[in-house]
Amino acid sequence: MAAPGPGEYFSVGSHVSCLTCLGQQLQGEVVAFDYQSKMLTLKCAPSSGKANVSDVVLINLAYVSEVDIINDRTETPPPLASLNVSKLANRARSEKEDKLSQAYAISAGVSVEGQQLFQTIHKTIKDCKWQEKNILVMDDVVISPPYQVENCKGKEGSALSHVRKIVEKHFRDVESQKSVQRPQAQQTQKDSTLSS
Amino acid sequence: MSMKQAGGNRKPGSGAASGAGGSGGRQNLGRGRHSAKGPSAAVVSNGVYANMRMVHVLTSLVGTNCELKVKNGMVYDGVFKTYSPECDLVLDAANIKSPGPSVGLRQEDLVDSIIFKASDVVVVHFRDVDFNFARKDNFTDTAVGGRINGEHKEKDLEPWDGGRQQHMVSGSLESLDTDVSNGWDPNDMFKYNEEQYGIKSTYDSSLSTYTVALERDNSEEFLKREARAAQLAEEIEASSTYKSRVALEHDERSEEEKYTAVVRGEREQHTLNRENKYIPPGQRNREGMSWGAGRQNSPRLVQSSSGPPPPRPGLHDYTPSSGADQRVVNGGATSCPSPSSRYQSGPSPLPPRAATPTRPPSRPPSRPSRPPSHPSAHGSPAPISTIPSRRMSSEGPPRMSPKTQRTPRTHRVPPGSRVPPGVDFMPHNAPGEVPVPPATRSSSSGGTWSSVVSGAHRPRSPRQNSMGGASPGPPSHPSPQIGSAPVEPVTTPMSVSSPAASPATNMATTSSAEAKDSRVQATRQNSPTANEENMKPLESPSSISRPLSKGPPSMAPDHRKQIDNLKKFSADFRLQSSSNPDPQFQQMVTKPPRDTGEKSKQLPLDKGLEGSEEGPVVPARSNKPDSPGAPSPSLSSTLCPAPEQNRGPEVTSQGVQTSAPNFSGGPKPEDKEEDEADQMRKSTLNPNAHEFKPRVFTPQPKPATTPTPPRPQGQPSPSIVMQQPQQVYFPQMYPLTPVSPGVQKSIIWKSPAMYHVQMPHMTLSQSKPYRPVPNMPQQRSDQHHPQGTPTMMHPAAGPPIVAQSPAYSAQYFTCSPQQFTSQQLMPHYQSQAQHVFSPVIQGQARMMAPPTHGHPGQLVSSTTQYGEQTHTMYVSQGPMPQQYAHPNTTLHPQPSATPTGQSQQGVQHGGNHPAPSPVQQHQAAAAAQALHMGNQPQQQMYQALAPTPPSMTPGPNPQSPQGSFSSAQQAVYLHPQQMQHSYNPSHMAHMQQVSSTFRSPSLHSEYILYEQAHIQSGMVPSHHGNPGHPQMMLMATQQPGGPQPQLAQNALNPIPVSSTAHFSYLAHPQVQQHHQQQL
Repeated sequence: MAAPGPGEYFSVGSHVSCLTCLGQQLQGEVVAFDYQSKMLTLKCAPSSGKANVSDVVLINLAYVSEVDIINDRTETPPPLASLNVSKLANRARSEKEDKLSQAYAISAGVSVEGQQLFQTIHKTIKDCKWQEKNILVMDDVVISPPYQVENCKGKEGSALSHVRKIVEKHFRDVESQKSVQRPQAQQTQKDSTLSS
Repeated sequence: MSMKQAGGNRKPGSGAASGAGGSGGRQNLGRGRHSAKGPSAAVVSNGVYANMRMVHVLTSLVGTNCELKVKNGMVYDGVFKTYSPECDLVLDAANIKSPGPSVGLRQEDLVDSIIFKASDVVVVHFRDVDFNFARKDNFTDTAVGGRINGEHKEKDLEPWDGGRQQHMVSGSLESLDTDVSNGWDPNDMFKYNEEQYGIKSTYDSSLSTYTVALERDNSEEFLKREARAAQLAEEIEASSTYKSRVALEHDERSEEEKYTAVVRGEREQHTLNRENKYIPPGQRNREGMSWGAGRQNSPRLVQSSSGPPPPRPGLHDYTPSSGADQRVVNGGATSCPSPSSRYQSGPSPLPPRAATPTRPPSRPPSRPSRPPSHPSAHGSPAPISTIPSRRMSSEGPPRMSPKTQRTPRTHRVPPGSRVPPGVDFMPHNAPGEVPVPPATRSSSSGGTWSSVVSGAHRPRSPRQNSMGGASPGPPSHPSPQIGSAPVEPVTTPMSVSSPAASPATNMATTSSAEAKDSRVQATRQNSPTANEENMKPLESPSSISRPLSKGPPSMAPDHRKQIDNLKKFSADFRLQSSSNPDPQFQQMVTKPPRDTGEKSKQLPLDKGLEGSEEGPVVPARSNKPDSPGAPSPSLSSTLCPAPEQNRGPEVTSQGVQTSAPNFSGGPKPEDKEEDEADQMRKSTLNPNAHEFKPRVFTPQPKPATTPTPPRPQGQPSPSIVMQQPQQVYFPQMYPLTPVSPGVQKSIIWKSPAMYHVQMPHMTLSQSKPYRPVPNMPQQRSDQHHPQGTPTMMHPAAGPPIVAQSPAYSAQYFTCSPQQFTSQQLMPHYQSQAQHVFSPVIQGQARMMAPPTHGHPGQLVSSTTQYGEQTHTMYVSQGPMPQQYAHPNTTLHPQPSATPTGQSQQGVQHGGNHPAPSPVQQHQAAAAAQALHMGNQPQQQMYQALAPTPPSMTPGPNPQSPQGSFSSAQQAVYLHPQQMQHSYNPSHMAHMQQVSSTFRSPSLHSEYILYEQAHIQSGMVPSHHGNPGHPQMMLMATQQPGGPQPQLAQNALNPIPVSSTAHFSYLAHPQVQQHHQQQL
C-alpha cells in the first residue's frame, strides 16, 4: 500500500510490475500515468492470446504495494493518433445495448439457444428485440421458442424468408460446432458470437 | 464551413444565442463557443484531462468491456463509458461479477450506469483491447503489418531503399526536380539497354526499312525535280486554301466568337478591322480568319467610306445620299454601259446618285405606286441617266429604298422628287418586269416603298445587268428589276399577287413590323443599295472596268478577310483587280440584281466566270476554299457577301443595323475605324449611314424579332431562323419583290431606319464601287459584302432580288413561271408567300451573285457565308433553316427539305423546261440540272458552265450557268453549311435554289439572303474581275452592257424580268467563259 515515493515516476514505454493491495500481480508496458490521480495505465499481453489486441490495466497506484520497473523506456513513445470519437461512442452504446438485451433475455428465462439465436440475428439485423420470450425482428417477424426455423412467423415476404435463412444457418453452424466440441451454454454463446 | 455556418447562425440569433441554444444552429454555436472558450481553460487545468496520454488511452478504451475492482474486492463488470477529470470512471450496464460461474445476467442485476470514484478503484482490467479500433490513421507500420488476411503474424516490413537499385535511371529524386530534359534521350535509352540488358538496338535513323532514302545527285534531272518540288511546295503553301486552312488552325477566335457570339461590336470591329486593314486582294486571302465578318464589313466600310457616304449626304436625304452613291455607281453603271462610264463612276457617282432616281424609274414601271416612293427614294436615281439610272435605279432604288426608307422618316419628299425618275425607270423595269405588276400590286400595298424597293431591286438587277451593259442598265435594269420583281412574283406563284402581296404584306407588315422590317429591309435595301452601289460600280465596271476595280477590291478585301482560301481569289482578284472591278461591279450589280438582274447576271457571270473558276475550285473548296479556288475575287466577293449576309442574318436585325451603320458610318465604326475613315473620306454617306445606323439598329432588332417567327413558317427550318429576319425583310422584301421599287417603298414605309440602313448600304456600295473605283471594286465588293449583310440585304432584298427575280421571274414566267414562281412562291409561301417572293427574288439575286462570284466567289461567299452565315445562322439560324428549306425546295438535294422547296424545284424544273424564255429555261434547266446534279456543286458548276458557254451568247445560258453556279455556290454554301448544302440541292435549280435560298433566307433571314445575294452578287462581279475576267468581265459586261440593253431586250423578249437575268447571264456568260477559261 505504499504510495509511490516522491519523484517516482513512470515514463511511457517502461515495463513495470505492480502488486496490488488485493494481491494481484500486474505487469506491463506503461502507456500513461497521471500523477495527480495516481492512475497508471499498463498494456499487458492479451489474456486471450489474440494478436493485434492487448489487455489494458488501469491501476490506482494508491492501492499498489510494490512497483518495480523492469526496464526503462528505450525509445520515445510513438505519437498519439487521433481517435474517432463517434466510433468509440457508438461502440459504447452498442456494447451496452447488447449487454442489456442479453441480460433481458437471460432474466426472461430464454433458453441458451434462444439467446444464441438472438445474438446471431442481432449481428445481422440490428432491429431485433425480445418480446417476452419471443424474438421480434424488424417488428415483422416473430420467432418463438424453441426458436426453430418453423417457429419463424410473420407476414410472408422477403423479411420472413430472410430471417428463416439466418435461423437456419445459425443452427447449422451451431450443430457443426457442437460436433467439434461440446461447449457449455456460455461457450456456445461465445462460439456463436465468434462464428458470427 | 461548419464554423462559418455556426457563425452565420450565431449572427442571426446572436442576441440570445449564447444562452438559449434553442435551435441546432444555436446549439452548435454554443458548442462552438464552449469548445473555443471552455476547453482551453477548464480541460487543460483539470487533472487527467491534462494528461494527453492518459486521455488518449482512456478514450480509446471507451466502449470496451472491463472488470473493475474496488477497494472492498468487489468486481464490477460493465462497459466503460467515460471518465472525469478526476479519473472517476463510469461503467454502463454494470453488474457485480459473481465469483462463481456466472449463471447469466439478470436484468435486475444490471445497473444502467455506475460512477466509480477514482479513489475507490483499485484496478480496471480491459480485455482484448484493439488500440487501432478508433484510429483514424490506419496507415502505420502497426496497422499495415497487422493487415494480413487471416494471418496473425507480424509482417516483416522492409525499408524502402529509395530506388537505389535504379541508380542507373536517375541519381536521386532531386534530379527529377532539376532535370529539365523531356525524358530520356533515345540514345541514352539505347545505351542503357545495351549496357544493362545487352540489348542492341537496330534503330536506323534513315528509316531505310520504311522508306527509300533520297539519292541526291547533281544531275539535271534531279535538280529539275528538286526545283519542281520546291515550286510545288511553294505553290501549295502560297495557295489560299492552304493559307486559309492554316489560318483556321491559327484562328485564335473562340468557337463562340466565330459562330455564336452576337456582338455587334465585333462585327463592327471586324468590318472596321477589315476596312481599316484594307488589304490588297493578294494579301486579303491571308486574312482568312476573319473573312466572313471582317471582309464583308471591310467591304462595307470601304464602300460606305468610299462613296456612299458622300453621295448620301449629297443626295436628298437618305435616298439622295444612297441615291447619289447609287447614282454614282449607276452613273458608273449607266455610263457603265460603256466602260468609261464605269470608270467615270468615281466622278459620275455623284451625278449618278443624283440620277439614283433612275432606280425609282425601274421600280415605278414595275409598280406605279412604288414609283412615287421610288421616285422619292430614287429621286436621285431619276437624275441619273435612265440606263445608268436603271442600274443606278437598281442601285438607286436600293439606295433609294434605303433612302426612301430613310426618307420616309425624314426625306420621303425628296424621294418623291426622285420618284419621277424612279417612275420612269420603273417603267423601264416594268416592261421587262411584267412580273412587276405583281410588284405594282405590292407597290400598291407597299406603295411608293415597294416601288422604291423595286427600284432598288431593279437597280440591282440593272447592276447585275449592268454587268451586261451599263447603258442598257437602266432599261435592262428596269427589265432586270422588273424581271426580278416579276421573277419573284413568278418564282413565287405569287408573282404578281405575291409581289403585290409581298408589297402589301410588306406594306402591312411594314406598317406594323415595317418599322422593323423596313429597317431591316432598309438595311437590306441599304445593303442592296450598297450592293447596288457596288452593283453600279460593278455594272459600270461590268460594262467597264470600274466595277471590276471597285467591286473586286471590295470583294477582295471581304474575301480575303473572310477567307484565306481566297488566296487564289486574291490572285484572281489581282487579275480581276483590273478585271475585278467588273466582278465586283458585277457582283455589285449582281447583288443589286440579286433580286433579278444581279442574280441573273451575276449568276451567269458568276456562274460563268466563277462557275468555271469555282467549278474547279468549288469542288475542292466546296466549302470555304471554293472561293479561294478560282475567282478569288468572286470568292472574296461571295465570301464577303456571305459574311455580310451571315452578319446580316446573324445580327439579322443587328446585322442590318450594323450594316446600315456600316454603310452610314456605323459600319465603319463597327468594322473598323479605318473603314469608317475611308468611308467618311470617300463619301458623306457614312455620316448619313451613321445617322441611319442608330435607326437601323433599332429597326434591326425589331425586324429580326418579328421576322424570325414568321419566316420559320415560310421556309423550312433553315430559313426559319432567318425567317424572322426575313419575314421582316420579307415585308420589306415583298415590297421590293413585288416590285423592287415596292420593296424599297416598303422599306421606306417600314421605317426611316430602313432608309438609313439602305442609305448606308447605298453609301457603302456607292462609295466602294464608285470611289474606290479601281481598287475600290474589291473594297467595294468587300464593303458590299460587309455591307453585304446590310447592303447585301438590301440588294438581296431589294434590287438584286428584283432584278434577278425579274429575270427569273420573267424567265420563270415565260419558261416556267410556275416552277420558279411556285418554287419561289413555295418557299415564300412556306415562309411567307409574299415574303417568299421578295426573298426568292433576293435569293435568286444572291444565287445569281454566287454564280457570278463564280466558284471562287461561291467558295468565298460560301466560306464567308459559312462563317457569317453560320454566325448568322447561330444568331438567327436563319441561314440554316433557309438552306434546309432550300434543300427541301430543291428537293433534289434534300427532298425532305421543305416540300415547297421541292415543289419549287419540281416546278422550277418543270417550269424551267417549259419556261418560254430560253435563258430562263436554260437557267432553269441548268438550275434543275444543277439541282439534280446540284447535289454536287461541281457538277452543277460544270453543267452550268457547260451550258453557259454555249448559252454564253444567249443570255440564258449564262444565266443558267450562273444560276447553276449560283446554285452551286449556294450549294457550296450549303455544303459548308448543311443549310447551304440543302440549298444547293434545292438550288440545284440554281435560280430556283438561289431564289429558294433567297427565299428561305429572305423568309428566314432576309438579311442573310440579302447578304448572300449581295455577297454572291458581289462575288460574282469580283469573280469576274478576279478571274482576270475583270476586263473580260468588262468585255462581258460591255457585252452585257450591250446586254443591258440586250438584257432589257432579252428581258423584254423572253420576259422583261428574264431580260435582266439574261443580261446578267449574258454578262455572266462571258464572264463565265472567262472564268472557265481562267479555270
